Amino acid sequence: MSKTPQLITIELEGRKTQVPAGVTVIEALWDTGHDVKRGIGCLSGLCGACTIAYMEEGGRRVKFGLGCQTLVQPQMNVIMLPFFPSRRALHDKPALADPATRLADLYPELHSCDNCKGCNVCPEWIVVAKVMQDAIQGDYASVAKGMRACIMCGLCASRCPRGIAPHFVGQFLQRAWGCSQEAPGNLSRRLVEQDNFRDESGWAQVHGKTGAELEELCRQIVQPAGKD
Amino acid sequence: MYPPELVQSIENLPAARTECLGPPLQSEEERGKLLRDNHPDLQSAAFRHLRVGASRGTRVAHEIADQLEAASDLDYADLDLNPTRSTDVLVLGSGGAGLIAALSAASMGAKVLLATKLGVGNSNTIMALGGMQASVADGDSTLRHFADTMLAGKSVARPSLVRTMVEDGPRIVEWLRKLGVDFDRDDKGNFSTRKAGGLSAPRILSVGDFTGLNILKALKDEIRCHPNIELMEFSPAVELTTSKFGECNGAVLFQLPIKRYMTVSAKAVVLATGGSGRLHVQGYPTSNNFGATGDAVALAYRAGVELVDLDSFQYHPTGLVFPQHMVGMLVSEAVRSHGGQLRNNRGERFIPELETRDLCSSAIINECRQGRGVRTPGGQQGVWLDTPQLEEAKGDGFLRKKLPHLYKQMLRIGINITKQPLLIYPTLHYQNGGVVIDEKAESKVPGLFVAGEAAGGIHGHNRCMGNSLLDIFVFGRRAGLAAAKRMHDSPGQPTLGHVSRFQQELKNLRISNLARSPALFPEFISTRL
Repeated sequence: MSKTPQLITIELEGRKTQVPAGVTVIEALWDTGHDVKRGIGCLSGLCGACTIAYMEEGGRRVKFGLGCQTLVQPQMNVIMLPFFPSRRALHDKPALADPATRLADLYPELHSCDNCKGCNVCPEWIVVAKVMQDAIQGDYASVAKGMRACIMCGLCASRCPRGIAPHFVGQFLQRAWGCSQEAPGNLSRRLVEQDNFRDESGWAQVHGKTGAELEELCRQIVQPAGKD
Repeated sequence: MYPPELVQSIENLPAARTECLGPPLQSEEERGKLLRDNHPDLQSAAFRHLRVGASRGTRVAHEIADQLEAASDLDYADLDLNPTRSTDVLVLGSGGAGLIAALSAASMGAKVLLATKLGVGNSNTIMALGGMQASVADGDSTLRHFADTMLAGKSVARPSLVRTMVEDGPRIVEWLRKLGVDFDRDDKGNFSTRKAGGLSAPRILSVGDFTGLNILKALKDEIRCHPNIELMEFSPAVELTTSKFGECNGAVLFQLPIKRYMTVSAKAVVLATGGSGRLHVQGYPTSNNFGATGDAVALAYRAGVELVDLDSFQYHPTGLVFPQHMVGMLVSEAVRSHGGQLRNNRGERFIPELETRDLCSSAIINECRQGRGVRTPGGQQGVWLDTPQLEEAKGDGFLRKKLPHLYKQMLRIGINITKQPLLIYPTLHYQNGGVVIDEKAESKVPGLFVAGEAAGGIHGHNRCMGNSLLDIFVFGRRAGLAAAKRMHDSPGQPTLGHVSRFQQELKNLRISNLARSPALFPEFISTRL
C-alpha cells in the first residue's frame, strides 16, 4: 500500500470534507478533528452508541448503521445519531410478573402498530417488525429469543411513525419472559447444598494453606473429574 | 474484501486439512522457552518498579507506571471543593460491577449517584459474549471451582477472595435469574453448562453468544426504574476526595458536555471504572472498550491504596489484524474450542490450539517473529484462523448457527467466514491485577470500595474464561452492600490533601513526567493514515 493514502470526498456532519479511503465513519470523524465522545464505546459493534444515518451516492433512501462498523464511501452523506428520544415506561416487579395484562398500560402505542416494517433497520439484523407482531400476539418466548441480539441502539424507534420504542418493549418482555421461567433443577439443588454446608470439610482443609501446599491440594481436588 | 496478496496467502493453505491437533510441544522445557521468549508478561524490559506511593517497589508495566507516577490533571489549588451534590453512595463506572453495586446499595435504602464516563452500560461487560462461570452443574462444586481458578492463576491469587467469589457464584446466578436474565437451558430445564480451557467440570453459563450484553440490559433496565438511583452520564471522575482523616468521601467529576468540574460528597465511594486495555501495554492492539484507560488504578493510588499483579495482563490469542478498522477486536475462544486451526504463512500448524491462552499467544508471536507470519497491507503480521476448515469438518451452517455474531459482523464487511479464514494476532484483553481489596471489596482506604476489573488479587496471573463476569457481580454486589452500611456516617469536608501530598512526593524524587492522569480517553494515533 502506498504511503500517501487515497483521499475521498464525503459530506460529514453536513460539511463537505476529504478523508482517507477505507476508514470507518468514526475514524473519519477523528481524522477530521471532530471531538466525538458521546458516540463512541466498544468499537466492535455491540454498545450501540455510534449509530449513524447516511445516504449513499445515487441512493434514494436514507440508510442506518453503526459508525464503527461502516466504511466511508465516496460522496457519502453521513451524520451521527448518537441518541434518539423515545419513551421508556417505568415498570415494577408486579408488571414483570404479568406482562400479558400490563403491556397495554405500559406501552399502549404498541397496539397501534400497523406493521409498516419501517423499523426493520436493525444493525444486528433483527427483524423488528416481526418481533413487535409477536409481542402484540403474546408470543413472548419468540420476542425474548428475537431480542437477544438487541444492542439497544434505538434506531428502530427513530423510524416508527407511531412512536413505538421496540427496543424498550423488547427489553421489558425479555425480562418478563426470564422471570416467568421455572427455577432450574441443578441451580436449586446447588443452593440447597450450600445452605447445608456440604463442602465445609473441604473448605476446612483449604483454610490456612498457602503456596505449594495449597497448590498440591488444588491438584487433588480437581483430579477425580479429570478421569470422568 | 481481502486484497490480492492475502488472497494469494489463503490459496497457499493446503486443500486437504486434517482434523487432528497441531504439532504437540516436545517438553516442559520447550513450553517454558516459548513463553520466556515471547510472552509479553515475561519481557522484563517492558516493566519497571514504582518509585512512589503505597506500593513503592512493585513491578508494573511502563504504561501503567506512567499513569501512576503522573501528576494530577487538576488545577487542584484553584478548585472549589465545596460539594455541589451530596449522596450516600457514589458509584463510579457503569459496567456490570458499577450497576450491581448501585442496585445493591439502593436495596439497603441508600441514596445512590452513579457517575460514568460514557453512556450507562457502555463498558467491557457488554463485550463479554462467551459466558459466565458458576458451579451449578451436578457433579461440580464450589470447591472444584476454587481449585481450577487457583491453578489457572498460577497459585498467586488470594485464596480468601477466590473462595468468596466461587461461594457467591450460584447465589449470584439465582439473583440474576430473578432479575429476568434467561440463561440457556438444556432439555430438562436445567441451566446448561459448557467446558472451557482449564476447567475440570462444565461450568460456563451463557445467554446465546450475547451473555454479558443480556445481563447488562436487565441491570440497566432495573437501574432506570429505581427511584433512589440517579445517573450522571458523560461525567468521568478525575480525582477522589478524602476527609482530613484520609477516608474517601467523594470525587471530583468532569462533566464532558459542558466542560465543568463538580464535587460530589458521599459517605462511601465504589470505584468500578474497569481496566486499562486502551493504554495499549507494550503497543499491543486491544479488544477493550474505548473508555478502558486505567483511571481506577491512577485515582485510587493517589488516595493511598495498594496495588497487586499489575505486571500481568491477559493477551487473548485471537484478535483480528485485518481489516484495519477491526484491529484488536476479539474472535471468541469458541472458534478454537470447536476445533478451529491456526496456520502460518506456509500453511503449517504450529501449536495444539487448545493449549492455554498464554501459550497460544506466545506461539503466534513466535511464528511472526520467525518470519512465518502473514503480512497485512497495514504492515502488521498475523496468522490464519482457519474457519472454512471448521465449516467443512462440522457441516454446512455450523458457523452461522454457533457463532452468529461473528458471522454477521464479518459478512457485513464482505468476509464470509465459511469461505475465507480470519487473520489474527494476540490482543490485549484483560488486566489481571489491580487494587488490593478484602472480601467486602473495601480497599486500604476506608470508605473506598473497588470492584470489577479495577480490583486485583482474584485471578492471579492468568484468568479463566468466564471468571471475569462472575467476579464483577460478586464483588460489585459486596461493594454496594458494604458501602451502603456507611450511609449514617458523616463524610466530612472533601479535600485533595492526598493529591498534593502525592505531588510533593513526585517532586521530592525529581520525577517529572509529562503525562497527566487519569487519561480518560485514549489518544487516536493515526499511524496508518
